[in-house]
Amino acid sequence: MSATTAGTGRSRRRSRGAVESSTSARTWGKTALLAVIFLWCLFPFFWLIMTSFKVQGALNSANLFDGPFGLANYRNVFNQDFHLNLRNSLVIATMTTILCVVIGSLAAYAIARLPLKRKILLLTGVLAVSLFPPVALVPPLYELWRTLGLLNTYEGLYIPYTSFTLPLTIFILTTFFAAIPKELEEAAKMDGASPFKTFYRVILPLAAPGVFAAAIIIFVSAWNEFLLANTFAPRDPEVAQTVPVAISLFTGAVDFQRPIGSITAACVVVTIPMIIVALAFQKRIIAGLTAGSLKG
Amino acid sequence: MAEVATESRTLSGPGPGGRRPRTKGVSEKGLGRLFVTPAIGLMVLVALFPVIYAFVVSLRAYTGRQYEGFAGFENYSEALNDDKFWASLQFTFTFTVISVGAEFIIGLGFALLMNQAFRGRGITRAAILVPWVIPTVIAAQMWFFMFNVNPGFINSALGLGEFNWLGESGWVKFAVIFADVWKTAPFVALLLLAGLQTIPTDVYESARVDGANAWQRFWHITLPLLRPAIFVALLFRTIEALRVYDLPQVMTGGAFDTESLSMVVQQYVVKTPDPGLGSALSTITFTIILGIGVIFVSLLGRELVIGRKDQ
Repeated sequence: MSATTAGTGRSRRRSRGAVESSTSARTWGKTALLAVIFLWCLFPFFWLIMTSFKVQGALNSANLFDGPFGLANYRNVFNQDFHLNLRNSLVIATMTTILCVVIGSLAAYAIARLPLKRKILLLTGVLAVSLFPPVALVPPLYELWRTLGLLNTYEGLYIPYTSFTLPLTIFILTTFFAAIPKELEEAAKMDGASPFKTFYRVILPLAAPGVFAAAIIIFVSAWNEFLLANTFAPRDPEVAQTVPVAISLFTGAVDFQRPIGSITAACVVVTIPMIIVALAFQKRIIAGLTAGSLKG
Repeated sequence: MAEVATESRTLSGPGPGGRRPRTKGVSEKGLGRLFVTPAIGLMVLVALFPVIYAFVVSLRAYTGRQYEGFAGFENYSEALNDDKFWASLQFTFTFTVISVGAEFIIGLGFALLMNQAFRGRGITRAAILVPWVIPTVIAAQMWFFMFNVNPGFINSALGLGEFNWLGESGWVKFAVIFADVWKTAPFVALLLLAGLQTIPTDVYESARVDGANAWQRFWHITLPLLRPAIFVALLFRTIEALRVYDLPQVMTGGAFDTESLSMVVQQYVVKTPDPGLGSALSTITFTIILGIGVIFVSLLGRELVIGRKDQ
């Protein structure tokens, strides 16, 4: 389109028809290439769903449309206490999200708006923590948790998750707080509102979309965490074993052979709600992800 | 602005009436300190303190979990003489370089496409979130079964018969890296797309008027202006790739030289407990990854400063 406006008058008139047909061909070409991205992202998931419904001999066939199909795999999954794993993951991810959002939004507001000494040092520290490899915490925290009796507990997982996700939370929320017009706070200040009142009556409601985006991202990362979960609560769905750990450990009738049916069914159970959340809040998640990283 | 200001007045207005300005509540300075304290406290207690504690533990000798006394740097020399450590270091670096490189190229391609296309852009942007939101453990199981001989989906799609991807030392690495690229290239695309959208379109218009072709526009305009976003994406991906644990752990369990640094450290904590050696390995891993991160950040800092001078 812009190509037609760019040329000189005469060449524009001469080439207009050709340009238009080539742009429409190009648009279709680009749409076709977009379909490649689309398939890249979604096809493996389609494979997962089809496989999860296959039963008996069908599981040994590479052809996705080979039957018989049924719900046996899903029944198996819930016979292995998978609902308890779902409960554990839900509690741990929710606690992480609440703690991170509360602690993170206070810190982010202070960094974005309040007079603070050594702000640069503080941000460098936050950045350093975001570069920490979680595995560096595994041996020392294991010893500490063993002494404190926090192995195989919810606390033993959501406390380290919170401290690991805080840097990202602070980066995302600082960007959002910084984008709120300063005039609003000044007006509130003029009216005699205390700084704290300004924060929770004026700023926090305006930052709600950003806080929400951060909350989803925190929830997803806590829900997906595997290293600490697999180390601090490796067994027992009754206590604190999370979904990823359970999915990595599913056992079948025969030892040393992974039960493809139960595993794919469990994967579908976990993935569908997450995909729905991702699609429903697509714009906010993308805003949050890019804010958090471009700031960093 | 006037409208916004009145709105904020009504927001802060309804509190218990008639206060004089700046007499109630904590001062801004005090509030600032109060607000950052929980965050700093938690990060110091659950991130900084354990790392220091790990260093202390790494200087002690243990048999099983039994404390045996001060060991000096013995654990470190044992770790550095351990073939397993070097093998895992090599795998981790190979994994990082190849997967981050591939993710960057594919992600950039995706981002450029999505930035240009009009039809179907919204739905593709939504689809791109799917690999990101899927837990890595699930992606690992999924690709394990796709690459596996039974049911042999990839083999039958490529007509390879009974090729054992997960049983050949080179190809198993390919499978692990492929799964990682599948999961994170879309995420890289998302970050780069955000960067592309900050480039003003009139720069391209004038380049086009000057007769620059598509490749020249990409090389001389897109890439330089995209540099900050590229750096950020590479930093995040490199650090994450160096920490890799979930994919090789679930896909191969470390077989055929696919044990990552994180897997080796974790093994000395649970499977064959040795807190001293485990802590020494975790301290070494920590130093390597944080070191690479710091180099990246300082390069990024310089990059951003140069970028600002240019403008």
